[in-house]
Amino acid sequence: MALSGMRGLSVFISDVRNCQNKEQERLRVDKELGNVRTRFKNEKGLSPYEKKKYVWKMLYIYMLGYDVDFGHMEAVSLISAPKYPEKQVGYIVTACLLNENHDFLRLAINTVRNDIIGRNETFQCLALTLVGNIGGREFAESLAADVQKLLISSSCRPLVRKKAALCLLRLYRKNPDVVNVDGWADRMAQLLDERDLGVLTSSMSLLVALVSNNHEAYWSCLPKCVKTLERLARNQDIPQEYTYYGIPSPWLQVKTMRALQYFPTVEDPNTRRSLFEVLQRILMGTDVVKNVNKNNASHAVLFEALALVMHLDAEKEMMSQCVALLGKFIAVREPNIRYLGLENMTRMLMVTDVQDIIKRHQAQIITSLKDPDISIRRRALDLLYGMCDVSNAKDIVEELLQYLSSADFAMREELSLKAAILAEKFAPDLSWYVDVILQLIDKAGDFVSDDIWFRVVQFVTNNEDLQSYAAAKAREYLNKPAIHETMVKVSAYILGEYGHLLARRPGYSPKELFTIIHEKHPTVSTSTIPILLSSYAKILMHTQPPEPELQNQIWTIFNKYESCIDVEIQQRAAEYFALSRKGASLMDILAEMPKFPERQSALIRKAEDAEVDTAEQSAIKLRAQQQMSTALVVTDQRPPNGMPAQPSIGPLSLVKVPSETVDSNPGDQGLTHPNGVVYKEDPQPPSQDIIGDLLGTLSIEGPPGAVAQSPQSATYEAEGAPSAADAAALVPVGEESGSVQPIGNINERFYALCLKDSGVLYEDPNIQIGIKAEWRAHQGRLVLFLGNKNTASLGSVQALILPPTHLKMELSLVPETIPPRAQVQCPLEVMNLRPSRDVAVLDFSYKFGPTMVNVKLRLPAVLNKFLQPITVSPEEFFPQWRSLSGPPLKLQEVVRGVRPLPLPEMANLFNTYRLTVCPGLDPNPNNLVASTTFYSETTRAMLCLVRIETDPADRTQLRMTVASGDPTLTFELKEFIKEQLVSIPTAPQRPQGPAAPPPPVAPASQDPGALLAGLL
Amino acid sequence: MPVAASAIYFLNLRGDVLINRLYRDDVGGNMVDAFRMHIMQTKELGTCPVRQIGGCSFFYMRISNVYIVIVVSSNANVACAFKFVVEAVALFKSYFGGAFDEDAIRNNFVLIYELLDEIMDFGYPQNLSPEILKLYITQEGVRSPFSSKQALDKPVPNATLQVTGAVGWRREGLAYKKNEVFLDIVESVNLLMSSKGSVLRCDVTGKILMKCFLSGMPDLKLGLNDKIGLEKESQLKNRPTKSGKTIELDDVTFHQCVNLTRFNSEKTVSFVPPDGEFELMKYRITEGVNLPFRVLPTIKELGRTRMEVNVKVKSVFGAKMFALGVVIKIPVPKQTAKTSFQVTSGRAKYNASIDCLVWKIRKFPGQTEPTLSAEIELISTIAEKKSWTRPPIQMEFQVPMFTASGLRVRFLKVWEKSGYNTVEWVRYITKAGSYEVRC
Repeated sequence: MALSGMRGLSVFISDVRNCQNKEQERLRVDKELGNVRTRFKNEKGLSPYEKKKYVWKMLYIYMLGYDVDFGHMEAVSLISAPKYPEKQVGYIVTACLLNENHDFLRLAINTVRNDIIGRNETFQCLALTLVGNIGGREFAESLAADVQKLLISSSCRPLVRKKAALCLLRLYRKNPDVVNVDGWADRMAQLLDERDLGVLTSSMSLLVALVSNNHEAYWSCLPKCVKTLERLARNQDIPQEYTYYGIPSPWLQVKTMRALQYFPTVEDPNTRRSLFEVLQRILMGTDVVKNVNKNNASHAVLFEALALVMHLDAEKEMMSQCVALLGKFIAVREPNIRYLGLENMTRMLMVTDVQDIIKRHQAQIITSLKDPDISIRRRALDLLYGMCDVSNAKDIVEELLQYLSSADFAMREELSLKAAILAEKFAPDLSWYVDVILQLIDKAGDFVSDDIWFRVVQFVTNNEDLQSYAAAKAREYLNKPAIHETMVKVSAYILGEYGHLLARRPGYSPKELFTIIHEKHPTVSTSTIPILLSSYAKILMHTQPPEPELQNQIWTIFNKYESCIDVEIQQRAAEYFALSRKGASLMDILAEMPKFPERQSALIRKAEDAEVDTAEQSAIKLRAQQQMSTALVVTDQRPPNGMPAQPSIGPLSLVKVPSETVDSNPGDQGLTHPNGVVYKEDPQPPSQDIIGDLLGTLSIEGPPGAVAQSPQSATYEAEGAPSAADAAALVPVGEESGSVQPIGNINERFYALCLKDSGVLYEDPNIQIGIKAEWRAHQGRLVLFLGNKNTASLGSVQALILPPTHLKMELSLVPETIPPRAQVQCPLEVMNLRPSRDVAVLDFSYKFGPTMVNVKLRLPAVLNKFLQPITVSPEEFFPQWRSLSGPPLKLQEVVRGVRPLPLPEMANLFNTYRLTVCPGLDPNPNNLVASTTFYSETTRAMLCLVRIETDPADRTQLRMTVASGDPTLTFELKEFIKEQLVSIPTAPQRPQGPAAPPPPVAPASQDPGALLAGLL
Repeated sequence: MPVAASAIYFLNLRGDVLINRLYRDDVGGNMVDAFRMHIMQTKELGTCPVRQIGGCSFFYMRISNVYIVIVVSSNANVACAFKFVVEAVALFKSYFGGAFDEDAIRNNFVLIYELLDEIMDFGYPQNLSPEILKLYITQEGVRSPFSSKQALDKPVPNATLQVTGAVGWRREGLAYKKNEVFLDIVESVNLLMSSKGSVLRCDVTGKILMKCFLSGMPDLKLGLNDKIGLEKESQLKNRPTKSGKTIELDDVTFHQCVNLTRFNSEKTVSFVPPDGEFELMKYRITEGVNLPFRVLPTIKELGRTRMEVNVKVKSVFGAKMFALGVVIKIPVPKQTAKTSFQVTSGRAKYNASIDCLVWKIRKFPGQTEPTLSAEIELISTIAEKKSWTRPPIQMEFQVPMFTASGLRVRFLKVWEKSGYNTVEWVRYITKAGSYEVRC
């Protein structure tokens, strides 16, 4: 730096460095700032030398972290100085002190531009650096073109072009829209022919940015990239100064390969061949050496090459070569290399066909699981998880279980989760799965999330063969002196449900089971006690004939908990106590739990969520999509008793809280439950969440109305046990069709869509049907958007249109299944034949899991959609009005019971129905005149005129006159308007008042179920 | 007496322990780490001298470059603890010859340990008087066992006698050729005045310092022109109160040598002084303060880049007196670039590191009013102009032979068995505490 001669600056710097403490430094800096201020304010002005010196000082102070809020003017003015040292200071200080949003920079743009287009190379470089460092929008707008010109100019030195490339890259990254890159592909291709490696490296960076945005335009660059790669890796045709530890410009190689990865494939066979040749050479030529720097460079190249190979889907031979190489890496002692090896192997799993080759290294990977470095252990775990399949699952899971006891705490949760998932996915037989999970809970109870044991319970419930085995196993674990609480939960649940299956075996009598479960009772927390209580109730129920002693014991426990402070426990105890006194009905109520509906394992979802630190490619995700869980297939069978496996509609579900749904109609309820106990099953939408589901059936929490539960259970107790039990026994299990509840009011959605052209027609937890319509004269085009909201696909999708006679409708093919989280578009052509108020109905059905959902939806292809607003002048209106005289062309009616509306609002309403209100036609201000054109196949365009006479004294009645050239049209339009005025449809912004009389057409009830019934 | 300390730590500014002494084992040895973590390394430092972390209370104060931290886990007497620290520091200073800092501590480890053992026992403060401690804890440090016997023989009986005797602070058998008493009244004036000249806050803290070189066991009696003393006197002597100003003293505290029973009954300050220098009493005055200076500032902001400052300082004490070392600091905005001054006396300059115009007048006679007028040019900045907060003008000065309170010594009587003659010297001095005038 040109500091020579600036004594003041060096003295200042040494002063600052010699300061003993921060306070002294601050004093010195403040003094200097005062000095600089005085100098800058000096009227006589500063010599360029002084200016330079003080600006340097300012920069130094700024770099020390002090606030410098003056002197920018001086810095910017130095940019236009003629001499290099001053210009340099100006550029550097401006770049440091100002950011792209500063107004001061505007002053500099012109000078910078002059420097860029000027002839002086050093000035060009300085200017390009500044633009590259600050590169705001204004700079990009005014300078991008010049920088581009500079980049391709042949007269420039490579030094300048290199900087120009990087500068352009920065401008492009900041504001891709400002930099004009149309037709830039040829230029880029040209640039890639460059001999100078510096320029080439910079251009390659630019290319990577360009290609990542839009690879289509840069196909022509692909062969050039390959050629560059050839030049570097094969021919080694580069100057000495660009080799790094004998590797020809590793940076350029990496960048080139990165650019190549943005192209989907390499199609040209020649290019492809030569590319593979180069890659082969890179793969073969890399080895682990002593020198760290050389290793770093060569491995950077190698791993980029591996990524490229994976991207290009090379031949199997090459892949196996890659895997072999990685296998060599994971055996190396150096941890960095081993980490990279493991990570890349995990990525390799994405590519098909190499798994078998990877499996050969299984032993080595398992050794890595015991590495002292935790990041390596994590990678090894990921890899094991990813490479697991049916053939090696047993080994791997056992290895993981063994490792679990020695693994450090940070990893245990992840480890147990992964082990559980693998055990579930690749279980050779289900008893093994149960074994593994129980072992898992036993070994790492604290780290086993609830999902894991929920899942095992679900499995056991859904597989009958497994039940007695699981019960026996659970009994075995309970024998152990100290077991984890989670184990108590699982065992208690399983023994409660299935203990009776083993009642004949010695040691499995109800009494013994009770004793062994109850032994654990003092050690557990409140969350487990409800489960224990349920088990006791079940054991009691299964004891036939009843044993008075056992009964008394259990009753004592129930009695004790009837006054528990925990509402959950208290309610269970009270209910079970009451139920168990009922005798025979207990059998039905406490019968075995129904099967669970099948769905994606919550564990896998959890694992997906947890996947944050792994690279973008997650083997798990890939796996989850590629192969459905085999275990799921095993269990996917109809229940033997033929009972539809519906969520939460089983005998035990009435243990659930009786919660009154808020929107239910009390009158309706009164009819079904004459005994006055309002007891409605809350049809739970099949939640995605197994946890929620399992809790819903296992425990009494669950339904959303849980808040309302305490007062209810209070009345429950007050009424006395027998009546409560009666009520419980009488509980209806809810409407079948109600199992999937629509979200939002279908009616409201329909009316909203009558007024606008796009919106949501129907929504439930599984699907959302959107609609978008375009209307032109008598034709219309609707598009139905069927969106699957689930992560599982929806099957048996059917959509039928039931058109009224006046509409011709054609629905294009609706696919049978909708993939998970996908949206399907179904265009629907509509043609209006003649005027009518009838409405088309869409009969839509789909199947989600075992549930079949069928809805009938009105389509918003209504009369007013075929109206075109038109304004008529008085000269046109009156002749028309007079010519259409008397019925049937002109109809008049007095309408009563209209919802009172102020006149402007009514005019608004008319306008939304595409009836143009023409003000000033009627001299009476209380009247309204509107006109519109109606289109249909038979009538063609037909002018319609409407006149509304309102009574300011009584707004609920009005006289309406409708006239048109077609009698049917006149009648239909009149009726249509009447409907709208009487039952003013709730436009979204105007909620319907509760006082409004029930409109004749739209069912008044807000209850979607009733609505559906009405539609049916 | 309540506990004052469970442990005492001396830390340097980095938080390293220089020396520590645990008096009770109810605090752990690692408590100082908690102090370092939760106080020294946060912004809390210097905000509140008492902090509670965990179950322990930390009392700390900074003396030059040393933090003295007292840790206590029980309900301690905070005032007692701080008084202990202050006294201990005074004690160390008298041992080290005036300086108390990190180096002094490092150089006197053994001595400090010895003193720490002596001045506090199981958390209860003991005798902290340097005169007495110096009798038996000598600065020589380690001595050879042979010579120690002789050397120790003499002071020890004295020391016991002293500590247990009625006049613990004075040795018997002192003899001076010339019996002299020096008495200084030192007052510092704290003032906050609004720009309009109305007094917002004003008080004087004063102390009477004495230096005695008297033989034997003299009994001294001090008479001041304070209100209580005068009233009592006139009551006793059945004389009407003398006309003239009487001063009302608040918060009077005495040195332990003052006979309080006598003060309570007769309202006279009588005492047997310790030998050498000591602080006889401290007091505070809030009413009837004679301000030595009036400051009349006018500061005009002329647009964004110019300011005009005019300050007039008026001395309101007697024309024959004069103030010394007067410094007036007039704050200016941070972006001050150029200044030009005109002063009628003294010298002024702009100090960028404290953002002030500093106007110094070495000798400032009474009843004069020098002025300063300055023009200031500001530099324009890119930051939005924040309105300048206008900090107050600060002033430093010393006025000899002037008391802001008006306190005067009426008499100082010395009575001794032998009845020698004494020479009494009295001095008055008024200093600026925080003397601030808003502008």
